[in-house]
Amino acid sequence: MLLSKVVPSSQYLAIYVKNAFREWLIKDAPTLIYMVKATIAALLAMFVSMTLTLSDPRTAIFTTFIVMQPQSGLVFSKSYYRVLGTIAGVIMSVFMIGAFAQEPKLFIFFFAIWIGITTAAGVKYRNFQSYGFVLAGYTLCIVALPVIEQPMEIFHIATSRFSEVMVGILCATVVSEVLFPRKLSDSLDMNERERFENVFTSFGNINSLFGAQDTKDVDAVKFSSGVVGVHAIAVNSAFESVTDKRNRLYLEQLNLEFMHLSTTFHSLKNIIRELELRASIQSVDAIKELYVPFTKVLQSIPKLDDIGFVNMINQLTELKQSMHSYVPIDLKSDEYDAFNSAAYLISRVVDEYFIYVNSYYAYLKLKSSGNVSKELTRVVRFKTHTDNVLVALAALRGSGVLLVTMAFWILSSWKYATITITMSVVIGLLIGTLPRPLDAVTNFLKGAVSAAAMAALYDFYIVPEFTTDVYTLALVIAPVFMFVGWMTTRPKWTGFSLGFVFLFMSQSSFDLYYKIDPTTFLETTIASLLGVSFAGAAYILVNFWSCSLSQKRVAKVLRGQIIYLCHGPLNLQRGSLESMGRDMIQQFSTQGRLNVRSSRLVYEWLLTTLEIGGAIMRIRRNLNRLDRESVLVDKTLESIKEYFQTPTEVSKQTLLKSLEGTIASLHIKQKEEIHIIAQLSLIKTILLSRVAIPVFKEELCP
Amino acid sequence: MPLDITLYGVQMPTLLPIFVIVAILQITIDGIIAETGLYRHVWHPGLFKVALFVCFFTLPCLYIYH
Repeated sequence: MLLSKVVPSSQYLAIYVKNAFREWLIKDAPTLIYMVKATIAALLAMFVSMTLTLSDPRTAIFTTFIVMQPQSGLVFSKSYYRVLGTIAGVIMSVFMIGAFAQEPKLFIFFFAIWIGITTAAGVKYRNFQSYGFVLAGYTLCIVALPVIEQPMEIFHIATSRFSEVMVGILCATVVSEVLFPRKLSDSLDMNERERFENVFTSFGNINSLFGAQDTKDVDAVKFSSGVVGVHAIAVNSAFESVTDKRNRLYLEQLNLEFMHLSTTFHSLKNIIRELELRASIQSVDAIKELYVPFTKVLQSIPKLDDIGFVNMINQLTELKQSMHSYVPIDLKSDEYDAFNSAAYLISRVVDEYFIYVNSYYAYLKLKSSGNVSKELTRVVRFKTHTDNVLVALAALRGSGVLLVTMAFWILSSWKYATITITMSVVIGLLIGTLPRPLDAVTNFLKGAVSAAAMAALYDFYIVPEFTTDVYTLALVIAPVFMFVGWMTTRPKWTGFSLGFVFLFMSQSSFDLYYKIDPTTFLETTIASLLGVSFAGAAYILVNFWSCSLSQKRVAKVLRGQIIYLCHGPLNLQRGSLESMGRDMIQQFSTQGRLNVRSSRLVYEWLLTTLEIGGAIMRIRRNLNRLDRESVLVDKTLESIKEYFQTPTEVSKQTLLKSLEGTIASLHIKQKEEIHIIAQLSLIKTILLSRVAIPVFKEELCP
Repeated sequence: MPLDITLYGVQMPTLLPIFVIVAILQITIDGIIAETGLYRHVWHPGLFKVALFVCFFTLPCLYIYH
């Protein structure tokens, strides 16, 4: 029934206005608040640095825009690394000028090494740590280059640069903490709840697992970025003191458990898809019968409140006990193995979901009452992996750009060539850490050109015409600050807004007194734009990276992992393996130029590697517990290793034969042997399925 | 107290070391308050923190500049 038929039209309008207002409050108001906050912080920084007569108020304003983030925790975190980066850069500048001011060759040589190191570290580390290194690199350009001819000036420049950065940071942190503060912990909470509800509804729906539709591929990469992203936010929330340490531990634990659960679920989905394509209806139905009780438990929970959780946990405990005693049906060898693996994975999904629900319930209780029902003892380690070739390439590019622009400076002996150097180094460092660097440089250039036009308008018309003191200056400049604040909330505009802020801040006349003239303005603008072009050219020229190379590198790392697991230590944590894998895929899909199809393939590789690797670890652990030696299992492990060292069709057949022989030789008497059989069947099923194992595929890279 | 002090041959305003000391003090106190859960009873923790810092910082400043 239509709403308008039951309520009178005035009430009908009121309800709609109310809904529209609520929607605006949730969606648009935060952006507006953020814009206002960013503008106030920037204006405050301008006032303070002009009152303290700091030599370059622009640095302070620029700093507020750089560190300003919607949530306070992120502002603190970024400020912290900006301070560290500035200190490192300033110290390095004083050292370099002190040591090599009279030795141009040595100066350039060490300069290039420093830029190389900081670029490499910027790519190697994650989040704002990476930004800290980037800043340490380009602070050297900003502080040391302008004073190369008057080395004694270095102390003055160094201290004023540091003070300006500090003023900017203080203004940004105070404003973001006092005016409408938004906590990271709140968004983490919301994120966790959303994730939990998603899992709850999709596990409760049998069609999410059975049926031919292929939703997995669409959000495969988003999936890993979700886990990596939540980890990043959780790390930054450490800077908000209100976020209790226990909460943080819980959130990291939940993230890890969700990661395990999602891996198992996707592996199960892959195997079921294979079964649906190749096996008989009988075995698919048998698998369905195993899974249905689990969905029934979830469907029986009407609401996720206190009673609902207790009810669910009790029912899941019962289900877990009944699940381990399923009766295998009569099937032919390969199909039997597939059935066996699927049944094993279903019981693992239930086990892991049980753990996840328990942790989430404990977390909710901790939030509401402060009581800890489940004490977390071990600290979860989140591991990252960055490809060394990727890092080396970035370092080469960074140092290369510096050397070329230095050569340009020496050959042209242009007064403003130092600006070209600074700009190109800044872009080389900063854009290198963003996804799709080439697009980002193009957008940066667009932003820079628009900023130059805007700065010209301000410098030569608005500022001389309408401003008389700092208050009128604040009034006329506020709209631009608002615009910059709005741009930084749009992820699509990252490159553009960076370019705009960089150039507008370097070209606008925020000095203690008005001192800009058209010739200087034109020359410095040209120098800056030249710098952008140099950096852009470096991204086009120094880029041997390609989709096929990425695939080869990922495949090699993943195969290496399996080989290592065959003989490495047994106490390796599953969490660190999985987090490393996901982080690596995330890194390659943003930096390593993987197209959509190959990212999907690479994600499948990761899943199979994690499953095969996990199976190998479980086989080895059960083997240790077994009361007798099993030569056949050892041999199978050896042929797994051989296959992943040289993945050929011949070694695959050898491995499959060995797997079959071993499975047939084991008896279902001891608990350990049953476990080993399940794991061997899982490996065999994965090898037989269409799902790719990590071997480079030419056809996916055009 | 003098307006400028010299540390290892570098002359700087006395406010600078005071700022560093107060910042360390603030971080310690902030940690203690967060640990004991006192922030739950404060209306606006952010404003409270800033106010606390201003109090700590202005006390020695008033002493220097009186």
